[in-house]
Amino acid sequence: MKLDRRSVLKGLAGVTLSLPLLEAMGEEVAGKTPRRFCALYTANGMSLPNPKHGVGEWSWFPQKEGREFEFGKSTQPLQPFRQHVSFLGGLQHPNGIKADPHMCSDMWLTGAPLHDPKPGAFNSVALDQVVAQHTKKYCRQPSLVLSIDAGVGFLSRTGTISYNIEGKPVPAENNPRRVFDRMFRGDRASLATQREQLQKRVKLVDAVQESAKSLNRRLGKSDNERIDQYLTSLNEIESRLVASEKWIDIPIKSQDYSHLNLDATTEGEPAEYYRNMFDLISLVFDADITRSVAFMLNREDGMGISDTFPVKLGLNRTHHNLSHAEDKDGQLAFAKYDLFLSEQIAYFLNRLNQYQDLGSSVLDNTIVLFGSGASTTHNPTNLPTLVAGGSNMGLKHGTYWRKDRTPMSNVYLSILRSMGIEEASFGDSTGTVSDSIFTKV
Amino acid sequence: MMCRDFLLRQWPAALLVAIAAICGGRWVSSEEKPAAATSPDVTVTEIDKEFRDFVQPLFKQYCIRCHNADQMKSGIRVDLLTGIPEDKHLFLWKDILKQISDGAMPPEDEPQFDENHKKRLSGWIQRAMNSAMARNTQRNGTIRRLTVSQYRNTLRDLLGLEEDLTEVLPPDAISKDGFANNGQSMVLSPLQVESYFDIAQKSLDLCIVDENKPPTIQTFRMDLGQGINPTPCPDKLILGANNHLLNNADFQVTEPQPSKPFPFTPFHMRTKYEFIEGYAGNDTVRGWRKYDSIYHSVFACMRGNLGYPKGEAFQVVPTGLLLRPAIPSSEIFGQQSTYGPMANFKISLRELPDTGNFRVTVKGARYDDVLLLNPGTTAEKSEMDCPTVPNLAQTPSSTVQILDAGIYAVDLYREPGAGRNVEIQLGERHTSGQLPEFKKPADAKPDEVPERGYAFMLVRLAAGPTPVTIRSGDNTGLRRAVFRKIAENSDSGKQFLAFESRTPSIGVYLGLRRDCGSTLTRVGEPQAVKGSELRDYVFSGPINDFPSPDVELDNVNYLAGIREIGVRSEYTDGRDMPRLLLRSIEFEGPYYSEWPPATHRRIFIDSPNKNDSALYASEILRSFATRAFRRPVTDEEHEAIYAVWKRSTAEKLSFQQSVKDALLVILTSPQFLFVIENSSTPEPEDLDDFELASKLSYFLWNSSPDSTLLDLARKQQLHATLDDQMERMIRDPRFEQFMREFGSQWLSLDKFDVVSFDSRRFPRLTRDAKLHLRQEPIRFLTYLIQQNLSLRNIIHSDFIVADEVVATYYNLGDRTESGFKFVPIRHENEHLGGILAQAGILAGLSDGREPNPIKRGAWVARKFVAEPPDDPPPNVPRLKEDDGSNLSLREKLERHRNQEGCVKCHTGIDPWGLPFEQYDAGGLFKSDRKIDAPSKLPDGTEVRDLNNLKRYLAEQRIDQVTFSFLKHLSCYALGRSLTYNELVFLQKECIKLRSSELRMQDLIRFVIKSDMFLKK
Repeated sequence: MKLDRRSVLKGLAGVTLSLPLLEAMGEEVAGKTPRRFCALYTANGMSLPNPKHGVGEWSWFPQKEGREFEFGKSTQPLQPFRQHVSFLGGLQHPNGIKADPHMCSDMWLTGAPLHDPKPGAFNSVALDQVVAQHTKKYCRQPSLVLSIDAGVGFLSRTGTISYNIEGKPVPAENNPRRVFDRMFRGDRASLATQREQLQKRVKLVDAVQESAKSLNRRLGKSDNERIDQYLTSLNEIESRLVASEKWIDIPIKSQDYSHLNLDATTEGEPAEYYRNMFDLISLVFDADITRSVAFMLNREDGMGISDTFPVKLGLNRTHHNLSHAEDKDGQLAFAKYDLFLSEQIAYFLNRLNQYQDLGSSVLDNTIVLFGSGASTTHNPTNLPTLVAGGSNMGLKHGTYWRKDRTPMSNVYLSILRSMGIEEASFGDSTGTVSDSIFTKV
Repeated sequence: MMCRDFLLRQWPAALLVAIAAICGGRWVSSEEKPAAATSPDVTVTEIDKEFRDFVQPLFKQYCIRCHNADQMKSGIRVDLLTGIPEDKHLFLWKDILKQISDGAMPPEDEPQFDENHKKRLSGWIQRAMNSAMARNTQRNGTIRRLTVSQYRNTLRDLLGLEEDLTEVLPPDAISKDGFANNGQSMVLSPLQVESYFDIAQKSLDLCIVDENKPPTIQTFRMDLGQGINPTPCPDKLILGANNHLLNNADFQVTEPQPSKPFPFTPFHMRTKYEFIEGYAGNDTVRGWRKYDSIYHSVFACMRGNLGYPKGEAFQVVPTGLLLRPAIPSSEIFGQQSTYGPMANFKISLRELPDTGNFRVTVKGARYDDVLLLNPGTTAEKSEMDCPTVPNLAQTPSSTVQILDAGIYAVDLYREPGAGRNVEIQLGERHTSGQLPEFKKPADAKPDEVPERGYAFMLVRLAAGPTPVTIRSGDNTGLRRAVFRKIAENSDSGKQFLAFESRTPSIGVYLGLRRDCGSTLTRVGEPQAVKGSELRDYVFSGPINDFPSPDVELDNVNYLAGIREIGVRSEYTDGRDMPRLLLRSIEFEGPYYSEWPPATHRRIFIDSPNKNDSALYASEILRSFATRAFRRPVTDEEHEAIYAVWKRSTAEKLSFQQSVKDALLVILTSPQFLFVIENSSTPEPEDLDDFELASKLSYFLWNSSPDSTLLDLARKQQLHATLDDQMERMIRDPRFEQFMREFGSQWLSLDKFDVVSFDSRRFPRLTRDAKLHLRQEPIRFLTYLIQQNLSLRNIIHSDFIVADEVVATYYNLGDRTESGFKFVPIRHENEHLGGILAQAGILAGLSDGREPNPIKRGAWVARKFVAEPPDDPPPNVPRLKEDDGSNLSLREKLERHRNQEGCVKCHTGIDPWGLPFEQYDAGGLFKSDRKIDAPSKLPDGTEVRDLNNLKRYLAEQRIDQVTFSFLKHLSCYALGRSLTYNELVFLQKECIKLRSSELRMQDLIRFVIKSDMFLKK
């Protein structure tokens, strides 16, 4: 069934519309097999202790490659998800090794040539925003961008890992209550404005169609097809606008929010804060509010509050300081911070695994990318990368795959293709990594 | 020398080749010419009948099994072919003819035609094609979407809005011929149409203002000079790591108010801030701190100061800030300076307007400078009576008597000691430089104090007493300074005369600060400083076309969101240049000369009917739509647009908002977004005058027709004044918009953009130098066209068209003093000249380390002689660059092309590329590249090197080169690929043209006056 614009406009009196309407939004929405993406970023790299200290078991990367890999001590909490996760080694951004290493957070999700930026822009589109471009038509909001510090930070010390199509930073949200309100409690005034704008656009598209009709069309067949292509585009835009407008009236899935502590802040316990943020993301995915999430867990080079988290956890030094540690104690403490992060990721994967889409878990329909823009601090090669979930999109897990100097953007392109997003390339990608965990690229 | 014998021996063959024609990559031999071969008694019906009786059954038996809808081997289908060949199938028929006569099809292991069938089939194909070509091509008008650049230019010309809003549009697809404006390869997605809506909305929001609300304008000025600030900021200012801020007393920031003929609200920069981090540089120091001073909002910052090769990067003097040329650096981390070019000044600040155009006014001058000599130049023996400052150690300041006005060398005599910096003041002139280390000679006696004299600098002095101050850290080592007169015709004299005749250029940049440097985009072109009087140099642009940091208000980091206005003395090639004196820099934005601004008045036109809103709206919309549609609107169209206004008005929207709604529709209608040529019949018809105006202007300007063209169209005089208009359009500055598009796309200059060069092997190919070399082919072509010179120059010319950067790249820097202006320079070098020897072309056809003869060959074949090779067959593996062997790239390529299966195509490609072998990956001729470059061209001609090839092209194949140029030019002009017939037509014309002068404007005129262009 195709949405008829007129009938929808008629039904705009504010009456709540029911489930059949959801079905009318198309198979992608009603079929309950959403394809989602979530990027999680940690700054300053991971602990890869110097061999001379003899604590190799604390290295973030597993010691053995392939399906026989073993979790190191700092990734132990992920052990229960062995069949849902894979480690990827040897990745790098070709532009990363040319740029100031402090920019590795800025370019982690974009791969942009920040050492030689295009005139007029300084970054390029991030993976989560490419995903959003394609998934926004199926859900209420294009994307959700989170970070430990609100806002965008600034170039070379970014506070967000998400960049829009124009390469501009997408401001991140860090307050659980504000995230909750924005995702689940759209206020009346903003909904009314939103509706007004959508209706205005629909009228405009209508008027352009009228104007195009007045065009004198004495043209050959193929040329007429070109005008038709334009008119078809107009129709498609119109039905998309109408669909967006419908969302305003479709009630949000009812969920249990009782476990949320919306007063958790970055000033409090780090674990409490992360737990609530991951709870929120899981709820957002479960209710299909958006299908693209990016979350910057902490910031590069001693910026922001997250630098103090290791101190709060009793590890004695700040995050940036730990990442520079050469001594055994320092490198061990850094690895223990990795362990803390692994616990948070494991908590998140568990949450996703508990929620169900039709016939499978939300985790199976979500590709989770977790990693850093540097292996150890300021070293932009062999980027620590963990991919989890998405087995319904052809991801085959339980391995440590490694191939040196593989462009990170090839992994990104593989993620897009796995999600059914047929982009020809992403950033500086040279292809996909079909020989790894991505079986449908 | 040229192979004279080949000329004599091979002439007839070469002539044949010249007469033979190429179509879409295939030879069409001369006996197949349609007019001569069509016999009158063969009618179309007979051809069609034979197709059904003979050809079709034959195809069914031998071909269709592989070449049908399902199989489509090699992408070929023969089941669709008809007895009366369609125009679009002519290329395929040509191919079939060739496959059959070569015996390539059917394949060896399949049943073969017998000889009679083969002959009869070939004969039929030729007759059928001839008859098809003899008939008139059906024409049905055309429609082409504006390319992204056409859309950008059109929107700008229509609205008068400089800001570029088109970044969000996906780039246009490139057609097989290499062009972005090919209607057939253009696609349109809903996403793109949505972008058109967004752009239209944004641009109208920017153009239309609330007339009654005075604009808010930000103005500030930074004055520069030693001790210029009587009340300097008492705080120690820090702006991140490695910051080099000027002394607080040496600059002053004020917010003067401009005088405007309309009321406005002045914008005062915020001075009160509270930050939690970043104020002590990048160290992790956290804790809230409050600020309240303009000097924590606006900073004077120098970067790239250390290690300037001669003199110091900058110097603050009482009259201002002196800058030496900013030497570009590769901005790769860990290599050279990460902090941008050496010697670049910028104002770093927290706030700039977020909309509109800005204006930066630099008050500056050429400094009346001295010429520093290379450190360590030995002083020449001087006459006894030279003016001398003795005893510098005790009395650094004194007065010398100059008897004759003129050029003087200043020699400094010193005792042994370390290298040191010397500061000199001569009258009002300041300079500083280095003296090298002077070691006490080993054989010197212990009590002897040897001395050495260095020629330090050259300076022009007036007669009379001149105050002198010479200091050098601790002055103990310096003894005396001698002023030695220099003759103007001596080497030094000439060196100084050249130096003092040069003028620095000011470049202004806008962008943002990074910890590792800046991201800056230049505002317009650099401006040459006119003299040593202070003058205002104005730079302007739309603020949103420049990088901005996009951070949120109230970001808590001291270093976040810093904008920058950079000012440099631009660098060409390191020649000695008088320093740039900066006195002040003033910013104003948004800049309005009137209110409401012109963008608004263009839409809300003057009218006596302003009080009758319905009538006035109708006038506004008709006037705007006429300009947007580039022709008068029809009543029907006007009705549709006007109805939008009426509806919005009925919904109680304001007059302005209702007009805006209707304008939005105009800007997103196909009449605006497409170039449309209507047709009434399948017969060729003349373009109407408005269609012609658009076709011309999108061809020669890459933008919409101006009022002159539209006026002529209205009077139906455009066809009659075509010659004059073409010449006018070529002279117009907008012609550059054509050259940039056509030149880049014809010559595939984008290849040069994407090669990343090994900076160790090619240190001179900096990002900056690349930008200039990239322009060379386009400037060269523009020069040929505007001077109406012969096309032959593209093969060889005795001049290059270059600015100082490009000239220096070819080691011709000493032949020009043109700065950044591209001018013709006689090269007197047999390895330069024409397009084929240009670095922007040759270097683009390399991998950044070694040249690639196959890429170069394919380029020549495709672009220069229009004999494009076939696409590589599927599944050809990429040539492995690292295959473990020790072979050079050249040897690997050789091995590749000698492989069976490769050799056939490569005989049509490689021979064109091999003659370039002595040109390295940077595009320069290297006599030490001991590589023979002999090559056997596809027609059997042997050439030994590029000069051989050039002469062969000039003497034997000029019609083919002409054909290639005309083919590409026509493709671009028409916005589509040429038909088989049109290619054959061009080939015939090119043979006729070979005896003509081949003047560029005649060739453009030829295209414009052809039926290809004038009929629809």
